[in-house]
Amino acid sequence: MTAQTSEAIASSRPSVRRRGAIALIRAGVGEIVGRRRLTRYLVGAELKRTHADTAFGQIWWILDPILQMTVYFILFAVFLKTGVPDFPLFLFVAILPWKWFSATFSEATLSVTGRQSLIRQVQFPKIVLPTSAVIAGTISFGFGLIALGFVYLFYLDRLSLWVLCLPLIAAVQLVFTLAMGILFSALNAFFRDIQNVMSHALRLWFYLSGALVPLSAIAVSHPPLYAVLSLNPFAVLINAYRAVTYYETAPNWLGLGLVLLFSFGLLAAAVYVFKRAEPAFARIL
Amino acid sequence: MDPMIRQEVGHELEPAIDIRDLGIRYDLRLTKRTTLKGSVAGMLRRDPGRENHFWALRHLSFKLAQSESLAVIGPNGAGKSTLLLALAGILEPTEGEILTHGRVSTLLTLGAGFEQELTGRDNIDLAGAFLGVPQEQMNELAPSIVEFADIGQFIDAPVKTYSTGMRARLGFSIATAITPDILLLDEVLGTGDQTFRARSQARVRELVDRAKAIVLVTHDLTFVSEFCNRAILLEKGQIIQEGEPGAIVDLYRERVAQRRLLAEEDAQRFAAVPAVGAGPAPR
Repeated sequence: MTAQTSEAIASSRPSVRRRGAIALIRAGVGEIVGRRRLTRYLVGAELKRTHADTAFGQIWWILDPILQMTVYFILFAVFLKTGVPDFPLFLFVAILPWKWFSATFSEATLSVTGRQSLIRQVQFPKIVLPTSAVIAGTISFGFGLIALGFVYLFYLDRLSLWVLCLPLIAAVQLVFTLAMGILFSALNAFFRDIQNVMSHALRLWFYLSGALVPLSAIAVSHPPLYAVLSLNPFAVLINAYRAVTYYETAPNWLGLGLVLLFSFGLLAAAVYVFKRAEPAFARIL
Repeated sequence: MDPMIRQEVGHELEPAIDIRDLGIRYDLRLTKRTTLKGSVAGMLRRDPGRENHFWALRHLSFKLAQSESLAVIGPNGAGKSTLLLALAGILEPTEGEILTHGRVSTLLTLGAGFEQELTGRDNIDLAGAFLGVPQEQMNELAPSIVEFADIGQFIDAPVKTYSTGMRARLGFSIATAITPDILLLDEVLGTGDQTFRARSQARVRELVDRAKAIVLVTHDLTFVSEFCNRAILLEKGQIIQEGEPGAIVDLYRERVAQRRLLAEEDAQRFAAVPAVGAGPAPR
């Protein structure tokens, strides 16, 4: 194996501008794979950091979605009286993956700007930063699945073998999240506004993904709006999660396949954008 | 296999550093305005006559042979630190190229990148991973790093519990543990308290002895003749003169004195015409 990424033997360093898109994407993927050890340490640090100062530690990943579900349940089932049966489960299977996405995406977006002093002092492949944020979030999501098991105890009649498809849907979401995280971590280095807008944009996105009310509720009344909202990758993901955990049916395989295809395309674009932007990080941060 | 293992490129006759027509440009539009509002405002106000970038280094060429040590001196803003960052691979050349042979190390890494929640020991491993040092080598180095940092039981406590001095000692200890072929120094010779400073200077000297080539960027002209056998005077991103350290230091002193004289004359002229304005207009 040759030491391609080494800064040490760094003979001639060809400028990024002189390299093609495919070469850049390959270099980016090579860095992610080649610097696994660095990624592993960063993931460990991230997991320790996120909940180290709280009394319950990682337990918060189990408690937090349950509390969030309770809030929405009180709001929607008690006051607004939506007639969805077994509403807590219906909510929970959307809130849990959403929390994974939103928390991970936010962390990843800030991962490059949050390490400016290091970037100005050490030469290393910066792409490991958003990647490790996404991996750490994924491990935390694993803890969150314990909470799903807990909620299921009350709705055992909704449990079917389709639940076994959950990891497949999560894998699609992982590719999507990684692509978004890598892309926005690079963009945020240039436009810090992103981090200010993000929490609001994420909240709107959450509502538009049909997390609280089924999107099909507006299929009849507003067909064009429904058509547009159905293009939202996260609406497809939430529908799929709900299909296997709540409706006890197969997910929309075609929709999932399209989201996976789109996510891989986005990932390639994100790695390209990141690698193009990378040399500028040390200058602008 | 860890792909970061350094292979010794053992061409002894090859220069350690070969810089050809190096240029590094900063884009002021990107550095100054990092919010969307700023960028939009900048686009609207685009003034064709105004420079929106500046060359920190331009048309720089020099070679450094193995076993040579080079001092880079010059006034503030001459591009010394930019040159060091470029040699370390942190800044990419805008023009020209940099060829280096061997492992390059800066001692800039004093505690940057410490993870607050991780223990000192874990941070040693993390730093090794950032620097691309194989785990086996880090395992070998760890005991000496811990010993040199001299922070006792704290090595197994989270770094957030450290004092500033302890953090600096651990950072220095890690940065100097890995012996580089090309050592880049940016005046890090004084870290921590008196006793540690003495020990750290001894350690830097040891690295200097072992390194195949050294580049030292400094304001402290006493070190120049002691550490280096060649010197470059850098001003406004360009090499003014290159040669024996003693001669270059003299030239630098001369130019500083000259500039001071000019500045004083300017100040006097300015004082004589008081009603022009409160100061130079902001760009």
